[in-house]
Amino acid sequence: MRWMEESDDSIRRAILSGDKEAYKVLMARYTQIVFRVAYRITGNESDAEEAVQEVFLRGYQSLAAFQGRSSMSTWFYRIAANCALEVVGKRRPEAQSRIAEENDPERSEVQLADIKAGPDRLLLSREIEARQQAAMSELTPTERTAFVLRHMEDRSTEEIAAALNIAPNAAKQAVFRAVQKLRRQLAPLWVNT
Amino acid sequence: MKHLEEAELVEHYYEESANMGESERHLKACPVCAKRFAELCRVLDAVDTPTAPARKEDYVEQIWQSIGTSLPRYEKPKSNWFRFYRPLGWAAACVLLVAVAFVAGRKWERKQGSSVAVAVDPQARQRVVIVVLGDHLDRSERLLVQLNHAEGNDLSALPLRSEARELLASNRLVRQSAMQAGNLSNVEASLDRLERLLMELSNEPDSLTEADLDRLRQEMNTDGLLFDIRVLRSRVHSPGPEQQSASTATKGVPI
Repeated sequence: MRWMEESDDSIRRAILSGDKEAYKVLMARYTQIVFRVAYRITGNESDAEEAVQEVFLRGYQSLAAFQGRSSMSTWFYRIAANCALEVVGKRRPEAQSRIAEENDPERSEVQLADIKAGPDRLLLSREIEARQQAAMSELTPTERTAFVLRHMEDRSTEEIAAALNIAPNAAKQAVFRAVQKLRRQLAPLWVNT
Repeated sequence: MKHLEEAELVEHYYEESANMGESERHLKACPVCAKRFAELCRVLDAVDTPTAPARKEDYVEQIWQSIGTSLPRYEKPKSNWFRFYRPLGWAAACVLLVAVAFVAGRKWERKQGSSVAVAVDPQARQRVVIVVLGDHLDRSERLLVQLNHAEGNDLSALPLRSEARELLASNRLVRQSAMQAGNLSNVEASLDRLERLLMELSNEPDSLTEADLDRLRQEMNTDGLLFDIRVLRSRVHSPGPEQQSASTATKGVPI
Protein backbone atom coordinates (compact mmCIF):
# COMPACT_ATOMS: atom_id res chain seq x y z
CA MET A 1 0.00 0.00 0.00
CA ARG A 2 1.42 3.36 -1.01
CA TRP A 3 1.03 4.92 2.46
CA MET A 4 2.95 2.24 4.33
CA GLU A 5 6.15 4.28 4.58
CA GLU A 6 4.43 7.54 5.42
CA SER A 7 4.20 9.07 8.88
CA ASP A 8 0.99 9.07 10.86
CA ASP A 9 0.61 12.78 10.29
CA SER A 10 1.00 12.48 6.52
CA ILE A 11 -1.65 9.80 6.46
CA ARG A 12 -3.91 11.90 8.66
CA ARG A 13 -3.60 14.82 6.26
CA ALA A 14 -4.29 12.54 3.32
CA ILE A 15 -7.45 11.28 4.98
CA LEU A 16 -8.59 14.79 5.77
CA SER A 17 -7.97 15.69 2.13
CA GLY A 18 -10.44 13.05 1.04
CA ASP A 19 -8.35 9.88 0.78
CA LYS A 20 -10.62 7.73 2.92
CA GLU A 21 -8.80 4.49 2.12
CA ALA A 22 -5.59 5.81 3.72
CA TYR A 23 -7.29 5.23 7.06
CA LYS A 24 -6.78 1.51 6.57
CA VAL A 25 -3.05 2.09 7.02
CA LEU A 26 -3.63 3.69 10.41
CA MET A 27 -5.97 0.85 11.31
CA ALA A 28 -3.32 -1.72 10.35
CA ARG A 29 -0.76 0.09 12.49
CA TYR A 30 -2.83 0.26 15.63
CA THR A 31 -5.20 -2.70 15.47
CA GLN A 32 -2.97 -4.89 17.64
CA ILE A 33 -2.63 -2.30 20.42
CA VAL A 34 -6.30 -1.40 20.30
CA PHE A 35 -7.43 -5.01 20.31
CA ARG A 36 -5.08 -5.96 23.15
CA VAL A 37 -6.30 -3.12 25.40
CA ALA A 38 -9.91 -3.78 24.52
CA TYR A 39 -9.50 -7.47 25.17
CA ARG A 40 -7.86 -6.98 28.56
CA ILE A 41 -10.49 -4.50 29.67
CA THR A 42 -13.54 -6.30 28.35
CA GLY A 43 -12.21 -9.76 29.17
CA ASN A 44 -13.60 -11.47 26.10
CA GLU A 45 -13.01 -11.58 22.38
CA SER A 46 -16.38 -10.58 20.99
CA ASP A 47 -16.68 -7.55 23.24
CA ALA A 48 -13.14 -6.59 22.35
CA GLU A 49 -13.97 -6.82 18.64
CA GLU A 50 -17.01 -4.65 19.13
CA ALA A 51 -14.88 -2.13 21.00
CA VAL A 52 -12.25 -2.17 18.25
CA GLN A 53 -14.83 -1.33 15.61
CA GLU A 54 -16.11 1.51 17.73
CA VAL A 55 -12.56 2.76 18.31
CA PHE A 56 -11.81 3.03 14.61
CA LEU A 57 -15.18 4.55 13.87
CA ARG A 58 -14.68 7.26 16.49
CA GLY A 59 -11.08 7.68 15.52
CA TYR A 60 -12.05 8.48 11.95
CA GLN A 61 -14.81 10.84 12.99
CA SER A 62 -12.59 12.82 15.35
CA LEU A 63 -9.46 12.73 13.20
CA ALA A 64 -9.89 16.37 12.27
CA ALA A 65 -9.83 17.28 15.96
CA PHE A 66 -6.55 15.43 16.57
CA GLN A 67 -3.99 18.13 17.18
CA GLY A 68 -0.89 16.01 17.60
CA ARG A 69 -0.26 16.97 21.22
CA SER A 70 0.23 13.28 21.95
CA SER A 71 1.28 10.53 19.58
CA MET A 72 -1.38 8.86 17.50
CA SER A 73 -0.65 5.65 19.35
CA THR A 74 -1.56 7.29 22.68
CA TRP A 75 -4.58 8.86 21.07
CA PHE A 76 -5.92 5.53 19.80
CA TYR A 77 -5.02 3.97 23.13
CA ARG A 78 -7.21 6.46 24.97
CA ILE A 79 -10.12 5.94 22.60
CA ALA A 80 -9.69 2.18 23.03
CA ALA A 81 -9.79 2.44 26.82
CA ASN A 82 -12.93 4.56 26.63
CA CYS A 83 -14.72 2.34 24.16
CA ALA A 84 -13.82 -0.81 26.10
CA LEU A 85 -15.01 0.87 29.28
CA GLU A 86 -18.35 1.63 27.63
CA VAL A 87 -18.68 -1.94 26.35
CA VAL A 88 -17.96 -3.28 29.84
CA GLY A 89 -20.52 -0.87 31.27
CA LYS A 90 -23.11 -2.04 28.77
CA ARG A 91 -22.48 -5.76 29.16
CA ARG A 92 -21.70 -5.89 32.83
CA PRO A 93 -24.60 -8.06 34.10
CA GLU A 94 -24.12 -10.45 31.20
CA ALA A 95 -20.38 -10.47 31.69
CA GLN A 96 -20.75 -11.32 35.34
CA SER A 97 -22.69 -14.47 34.63
CA ARG A 98 -20.43 -15.45 31.75
CA ILE A 99 -17.25 -14.96 33.68
CA ALA A 100 -18.64 -17.17 36.42
CA GLU A 101 -18.99 -20.08 34.01
CA GLU A 102 -15.83 -22.06 34.24
CA ASN A 103 -16.74 -24.33 31.32
CA ASP A 104 -17.33 -21.49 28.90
CA PRO A 105 -15.44 -22.59 25.76
CA GLU A 106 -14.58 -18.96 25.03
CA ARG A 107 -12.96 -18.64 28.40
CA SER A 108 -10.97 -21.90 28.15
CA GLU A 109 -8.26 -20.17 26.20
CA VAL A 110 -7.81 -17.67 28.97
CA GLN A 111 -7.94 -20.25 31.67
CA LEU A 112 -4.99 -22.26 30.36
CA ALA A 113 -2.47 -22.80 33.09
CA ASP A 114 1.08 -23.98 33.17
CA ILE A 115 0.68 -27.57 32.01
CA LYS A 116 4.21 -28.43 33.07
CA ALA A 117 3.35 -27.74 36.68
CA GLY A 118 2.26 -30.43 39.09
CA PRO A 119 -1.38 -31.19 39.90
CA ASP A 120 -1.37 -29.04 43.08
CA ARG A 121 0.09 -26.08 41.26
CA LEU A 122 -2.31 -26.57 38.39
CA LEU A 123 -5.22 -26.64 40.79
CA LEU A 124 -4.04 -23.46 42.53
CA SER A 125 -3.54 -21.77 39.21
CA ARG A 126 -7.08 -22.61 38.13
CA GLU A 127 -8.43 -21.44 41.44
CA ILE A 128 -6.56 -18.16 41.15
CA GLU A 129 -7.88 -17.74 37.63
CA ALA A 130 -11.44 -18.32 38.70
CA ARG A 131 -11.17 -16.01 41.69
CA GLN A 132 -9.47 -13.35 39.61
CA GLN A 133 -12.34 -13.47 37.17
CA ALA A 134 -14.82 -13.26 39.98
CA ALA A 135 -12.96 -10.34 41.51
CA MET A 136 -12.68 -8.57 38.17
CA SER A 137 -16.38 -9.00 37.63
CA GLU A 138 -17.00 -7.22 40.93
CA LEU A 139 -15.11 -4.15 39.78
CA THR A 140 -16.92 -1.19 38.37
CA PRO A 141 -16.06 -0.47 34.71
CA THR A 142 -13.86 2.43 35.80
CA GLU A 143 -12.04 0.35 38.44
CA ARG A 144 -11.58 -2.47 35.98
CA THR A 145 -10.23 -0.22 33.25
CA ALA A 146 -7.98 1.66 35.66
CA PHE A 147 -6.61 -1.61 37.06
CA VAL A 148 -6.01 -3.11 33.62
CA LEU A 149 -4.20 0.00 32.47
CA ARG A 150 -2.14 0.16 35.65
CA HIS A 151 -1.40 -3.50 36.28
CA MET A 152 -1.45 -5.07 32.83
CA GLU A 153 -0.60 -2.18 30.52
CA ASP A 154 1.84 -0.57 32.95
CA ARG A 155 0.43 2.91 32.44
CA SER A 156 1.10 5.74 34.88
CA THR A 157 -1.64 7.34 36.96
CA GLU A 158 -1.57 10.42 34.72
CA GLU A 159 -2.02 8.32 31.59
CA ILE A 160 -4.90 6.44 33.17
CA ALA A 161 -6.52 9.69 34.23
CA ALA A 162 -6.14 11.09 30.71
CA ALA A 163 -7.54 7.95 29.11
CA LEU A 164 -10.57 7.89 31.40
CA ASN A 165 -11.05 11.65 31.50
CA ILE A 166 -10.86 11.73 35.27
CA ALA A 167 -8.60 13.46 37.79
CA PRO A 168 -5.28 11.73 38.60
CA ASN A 169 -6.36 11.29 42.22
CA ALA A 170 -9.59 9.64 41.10
CA ALA A 171 -7.57 7.32 38.85
CA LYS A 172 -5.30 6.42 41.79
CA GLN A 173 -8.32 5.72 43.99
CA ALA A 174 -9.90 3.54 41.29
CA VAL A 175 -6.73 1.43 41.09
CA PHE A 176 -6.57 1.19 44.88
CA ARG A 177 -10.20 0.04 45.20
CA ALA A 178 -9.62 -2.56 42.47
CA VAL A 179 -6.56 -3.88 44.31
CA GLN A 180 -8.53 -4.11 47.55
CA LYS A 181 -11.29 -6.13 45.88
CA LEU A 182 -8.76 -8.47 44.28
CA ARG A 183 -7.01 -8.97 47.61
CA ARG A 184 -10.28 -9.90 49.28
CA GLN A 185 -10.85 -12.58 46.65
CA LEU A 186 -7.35 -13.88 46.25
CA ALA A 187 -5.67 -13.54 49.65
CA PRO A 188 -7.55 -16.50 51.26
CA LEU A 189 -5.85 -18.83 48.78
CA TRP A 190 -2.55 -18.39 50.54
CA VAL A 191 -3.79 -18.58 54.10
CA ASN A 192 -2.87 -22.26 54.45
CA THR A 193 0.19 -22.23 52.24
CA MET B 1 6.70 3.94 64.31
CA LYS B 2 3.94 4.90 61.93
CA HIS B 3 3.02 2.06 59.57
CA LEU B 4 2.44 2.55 55.86
CA GLU B 5 -1.14 2.87 54.69
CA GLU B 6 -2.45 0.27 52.29
CA ALA B 7 -2.68 2.89 49.56
CA GLU B 8 0.98 3.67 50.15
CA LEU B 9 1.84 -0.01 49.82
CA VAL B 10 -0.03 -0.15 46.50
CA GLU B 11 1.80 2.97 45.32
CA HIS B 12 5.07 1.39 46.38
CA TYR B 13 4.23 -1.80 44.50
CA TYR B 14 3.62 0.17 41.29
CA GLU B 15 6.65 2.35 42.03
CA GLU B 16 4.57 5.47 42.05
CA SER B 17 5.23 6.52 45.61
CA ALA B 18 6.35 10.10 45.98
CA ASN B 19 8.94 8.93 48.56
CA MET B 20 10.13 5.61 47.23
CA GLY B 21 13.37 5.74 49.19
CA GLU B 22 11.61 6.50 52.45
CA SER B 23 8.98 3.77 52.06
CA GLU B 24 11.73 1.32 51.04
CA ARG B 25 13.67 2.09 54.21
CA HIS B 26 10.50 1.73 56.25
CA LEU B 27 9.73 -1.65 54.74
CA LYS B 28 13.22 -2.84 55.63
CA ALA B 29 12.91 -1.58 59.16
CA CYS B 30 9.28 -2.53 59.89
CA PRO B 31 8.47 -6.26 59.80
CA VAL B 32 4.71 -5.62 60.06
CA CYS B 33 4.62 -3.47 56.96
CA ALA B 34 7.06 -5.78 55.20
CA LYS B 35 4.72 -8.72 55.81
CA ARG B 36 1.72 -6.76 54.56
CA PHE B 37 3.66 -5.70 51.51
CA ALA B 38 4.74 -9.27 50.82
CA GLU B 39 1.11 -10.41 50.93
CA LEU B 40 0.12 -7.64 48.55
CA CYS B 41 2.93 -8.59 46.18
CA ARG B 42 1.90 -12.25 46.27
CA VAL B 43 -1.67 -11.38 45.31
CA LEU B 44 -0.84 -8.86 42.61
CA ASP B 45 1.94 -11.01 41.16
CA ALA B 46 -0.56 -13.82 40.84
CA VAL B 47 -2.99 -11.71 38.87
CA ASP B 48 -2.86 -13.07 35.38
CA THR B 49 -2.31 -10.71 32.50
CA PRO B 50 -4.31 -12.24 29.68
CA THR B 51 -2.68 -12.46 26.31
CA ALA B 52 -4.94 -11.25 23.55
CA PRO B 53 -5.66 -13.96 21.01
CA ALA B 54 -4.03 -13.43 17.67
CA ARG B 55 -6.11 -11.91 14.94
CA LYS B 56 -6.46 -13.24 11.43
CA GLU B 57 -4.45 -11.54 8.71
CA ASP B 58 -7.52 -10.05 7.17
CA TYR B 59 -8.78 -8.66 10.47
CA VAL B 60 -8.18 -5.05 9.41
CA GLU B 61 -10.02 -5.72 6.17
CA GLN B 62 -12.91 -7.21 8.16
CA ILE B 63 -13.16 -4.08 10.31
CA TRP B 64 -12.96 -1.94 7.21
CA GLN B 65 -15.80 -3.90 5.64
CA SER B 66 -17.86 -3.26 8.76
CA ILE B 67 -17.23 0.44 9.18
CA GLY B 68 -15.86 1.62 5.84
CA THR B 69 -19.21 2.32 4.27
CA SER B 70 -20.40 4.40 7.19
CA LEU B 71 -17.34 6.63 7.15
CA PRO B 72 -17.97 9.84 5.27
CA ARG B 73 -15.21 11.02 3.00
CA TYR B 74 -13.58 14.21 4.26
CA GLU B 75 -13.88 17.10 1.89
CA LYS B 76 -10.64 18.46 0.57
CA PRO B 77 -9.89 21.61 2.54
CA LYS B 78 -9.81 24.85 0.61
CA SER B 79 -6.35 26.03 -0.20
CA ASN B 80 -4.40 28.33 2.08
CA TRP B 81 -4.40 30.85 -0.72
CA PHE B 82 -8.18 31.00 -0.63
CA ARG B 83 -8.19 31.06 3.19
CA PHE B 84 -5.71 33.93 3.22
CA TYR B 85 -7.33 35.96 0.50
CA ARG B 86 -10.95 35.37 1.48
CA PRO B 87 -11.10 38.44 3.78
CA LEU B 88 -9.50 40.50 1.04
CA GLY B 89 -12.06 39.13 -1.38
CA TRP B 90 -14.85 40.26 0.88
CA ALA B 91 -13.26 43.69 1.22
CA ALA B 92 -12.89 43.95 -2.56
CA ALA B 93 -16.51 42.92 -3.01
CA CYS B 94 -17.60 45.62 -0.56
CA VAL B 95 -15.51 48.25 -2.36
CA LEU B 96 -16.94 47.12 -5.69
CA LEU B 97 -20.46 47.31 -4.30
CA VAL B 98 -19.87 50.84 -3.03
CA ALA B 99 -18.36 51.84 -6.38
CA VAL B 100 -21.30 50.38 -8.31
CA ALA B 101 -23.73 52.14 -5.97
CA PHE B 102 -21.82 55.39 -6.45
CA VAL B 103 -21.81 55.14 -10.25
CA ALA B 104 -25.45 54.12 -10.31
CA GLY B 105 -26.26 57.03 -8.05
CA ARG B 106 -24.42 59.43 -10.31
CA LYS B 107 -26.19 58.10 -13.38
CA TRP B 108 -29.54 58.30 -11.65
CA GLU B 109 -28.74 61.83 -10.54
CA ARG B 110 -27.90 62.81 -14.11
CA LYS B 111 -31.12 61.27 -15.32
CA GLN B 112 -33.05 63.19 -12.72
CA GLY B 113 -30.98 66.26 -13.51
CA SER B 114 -32.20 66.23 -17.11
CA SER B 115 -35.68 67.13 -15.95
CA VAL B 116 -34.22 69.98 -13.91
CA ALA B 117 -32.26 71.04 -16.95
CA VAL B 118 -35.50 71.70 -18.67
CA ALA B 119 -36.07 74.42 -16.11
CA VAL B 120 -32.64 75.96 -16.62
CA ASP B 121 -32.87 75.68 -20.36
CA PRO B 122 -32.17 79.26 -21.71
CA GLN B 123 -35.43 79.51 -23.58
CA ALA B 124 -37.47 78.26 -20.67
CA ARG B 125 -35.61 80.58 -18.36
CA GLN B 126 -36.27 83.50 -20.68
CA ARG B 127 -39.95 82.68 -20.63
CA VAL B 128 -39.97 82.75 -16.85
CA VAL B 129 -38.11 86.09 -16.81
CA ILE B 130 -40.54 87.54 -19.29
CA VAL B 131 -43.50 86.54 -17.14
CA VAL B 132 -41.90 88.06 -14.04
CA LEU B 133 -40.83 91.13 -16.00
CA GLY B 134 -44.34 91.55 -17.34
CA ASP B 135 -45.80 91.52 -13.82
CA HIS B 136 -43.15 93.95 -12.64
CA LEU B 137 -43.80 96.34 -15.50
CA ASP B 138 -47.56 96.16 -14.80
CA ARG B 139 -47.03 97.17 -11.21
CA SER B 140 -44.53 99.89 -12.18
CA GLU B 141 -46.94 101.30 -14.75
CA ARG B 142 -49.69 101.49 -12.15
CA LEU B 143 -47.34 103.29 -9.75
CA LEU B 144 -46.28 105.81 -12.42
CA VAL B 145 -49.90 106.45 -13.39
CA GLN B 146 -50.70 107.08 -9.74
CA LEU B 147 -47.68 109.32 -9.41
CA ASN B 148 -48.52 111.38 -12.50
CA HIS B 149 -52.12 111.87 -11.48
CA ALA B 150 -51.70 112.38 -7.78
CA GLU B 151 -53.01 115.79 -6.59
CA GLY B 152 -54.43 117.43 -3.48
CA ASN B 153 -53.02 117.89 0.02
CA ASP B 154 -53.57 114.42 1.47
CA LEU B 155 -50.91 112.67 -0.55
CA SER B 156 -49.54 110.78 2.46
CA ALA B 157 -52.61 108.50 2.28
CA LEU B 158 -51.44 107.16 -1.07
CA PRO B 159 -49.25 104.05 -0.80
CA LEU B 160 -46.71 105.50 -3.18
CA ARG B 161 -43.69 105.16 -0.93
CA SER B 162 -44.39 101.63 0.29
CA GLU B 163 -45.15 100.45 -3.24
CA ALA B 164 -41.98 102.13 -4.45
CA ARG B 165 -39.93 100.29 -1.80
CA GLU B 166 -41.36 96.93 -2.80
CA LEU B 167 -40.85 97.64 -6.48
CA LEU B 168 -37.30 98.84 -5.82
CA ALA B 169 -36.33 95.45 -4.41
CA SER B 170 -38.01 93.50 -7.18
CA ASN B 171 -36.71 95.89 -9.85
CA ARG B 172 -33.12 94.99 -8.98
CA LEU B 173 -33.85 91.29 -9.18
CA VAL B 174 -35.77 91.61 -12.41
CA ARG B 175 -33.02 93.72 -13.95
CA GLN B 176 -30.39 91.15 -13.06
CA SER B 177 -32.52 88.28 -14.33
CA ALA B 178 -33.25 90.09 -17.55
CA MET B 179 -29.54 90.66 -18.13
CA GLN B 180 -28.70 87.00 -17.44
CA ALA B 181 -31.53 85.71 -19.62
CA GLY B 182 -30.08 87.51 -22.63
CA ASN B 183 -31.93 89.11 -25.58
CA LEU B 184 -33.47 91.52 -23.06
CA SER B 185 -30.67 94.06 -22.95
CA ASN B 186 -32.97 96.74 -24.34
CA VAL B 187 -34.96 96.73 -21.10
CA GLU B 188 -31.91 97.43 -18.96
CA ALA B 189 -31.85 101.20 -19.59
CA SER B 190 -35.53 101.60 -18.83
CA LEU B 191 -35.24 99.55 -15.67
CA ASP B 192 -32.27 101.70 -14.64
CA ARG B 193 -34.31 104.86 -14.92
CA LEU B 194 -37.18 103.20 -13.11
CA GLU B 195 -34.81 102.21 -10.29
CA ARG B 196 -33.63 105.77 -9.80
CA LEU B 197 -37.21 107.01 -9.62
CA LEU B 198 -38.18 104.27 -7.19
CA MET B 199 -35.20 105.12 -5.01
CA GLU B 200 -36.11 108.80 -4.93
CA LEU B 201 -39.71 108.04 -4.17
CA SER B 202 -38.78 105.59 -1.42
CA ASN B 203 -36.59 108.20 0.23
CA GLU B 204 -39.15 110.98 0.12
CA PRO B 205 -40.30 112.22 3.57
CA ASP B 206 -43.57 111.00 5.14
CA SER B 207 -45.33 114.29 4.59
CA LEU B 208 -45.26 114.14 0.80
CA THR B 209 -46.69 117.30 -0.79
CA GLU B 210 -47.91 118.02 -4.28
CA ALA B 211 -44.86 120.31 -4.74
CA ASP B 212 -42.58 117.41 -3.93
CA LEU B 213 -44.32 115.29 -6.51
CA ASP B 214 -44.13 117.99 -9.16
CA ARG B 215 -40.42 118.30 -8.55
CA LEU B 216 -40.03 114.54 -8.83
CA ARG B 217 -42.12 114.39 -12.03
CA GLN B 218 -39.96 117.02 -13.65
CA GLU B 219 -36.63 115.73 -12.43
CA MET B 220 -37.30 112.13 -13.29
CA ASN B 221 -39.45 112.79 -16.38
CA THR B 222 -42.06 110.33 -15.19
CA ASP B 223 -44.19 110.84 -18.33
CA GLY B 224 -41.32 109.72 -20.51
CA LEU B 225 -40.58 106.84 -18.17
CA LEU B 226 -44.23 105.79 -18.22
CA PHE B 227 -44.08 105.77 -22.00
CA ASP B 228 -40.97 103.61 -21.98
CA ILE B 229 -42.54 101.22 -19.50
CA ARG B 230 -45.64 100.90 -21.63
CA VAL B 231 -43.56 100.22 -24.73
CA LEU B 232 -41.60 97.61 -22.86
CA ARG B 233 -44.72 96.06 -21.41
CA SER B 234 -46.26 95.78 -24.83
CA ARG B 235 -43.13 94.12 -26.18
CA VAL B 236 -42.95 91.74 -23.30
CA HIS B 237 -46.59 90.74 -23.60
CA SER B 238 -46.28 90.35 -27.37
CA PRO B 239 -45.22 86.74 -28.34
CA GLY B 240 -42.88 85.88 -31.19
CA PRO B 241 -43.95 86.26 -34.82
CA GLU B 242 -45.08 82.63 -34.98
CA GLN B 243 -47.48 83.19 -32.10
CA GLN B 244 -48.53 86.66 -33.11
CA SER B 245 -52.01 85.69 -34.15
CA ALA B 246 -52.71 83.89 -30.89
CA SER B 247 -51.41 86.67 -28.70
CA THR B 248 -53.69 89.29 -30.13
CA ALA B 249 -56.64 87.36 -28.87
CA THR B 250 -55.20 87.15 -25.38
CA LYS B 251 -52.64 89.35 -23.71
CA GLY B 252 -51.46 92.04 -26.04
CA VAL B 253 -51.75 95.47 -24.48
CA PRO B 254 -52.08 98.43 -26.83
CA ILE B 255 -49.71 101.31 -26.17
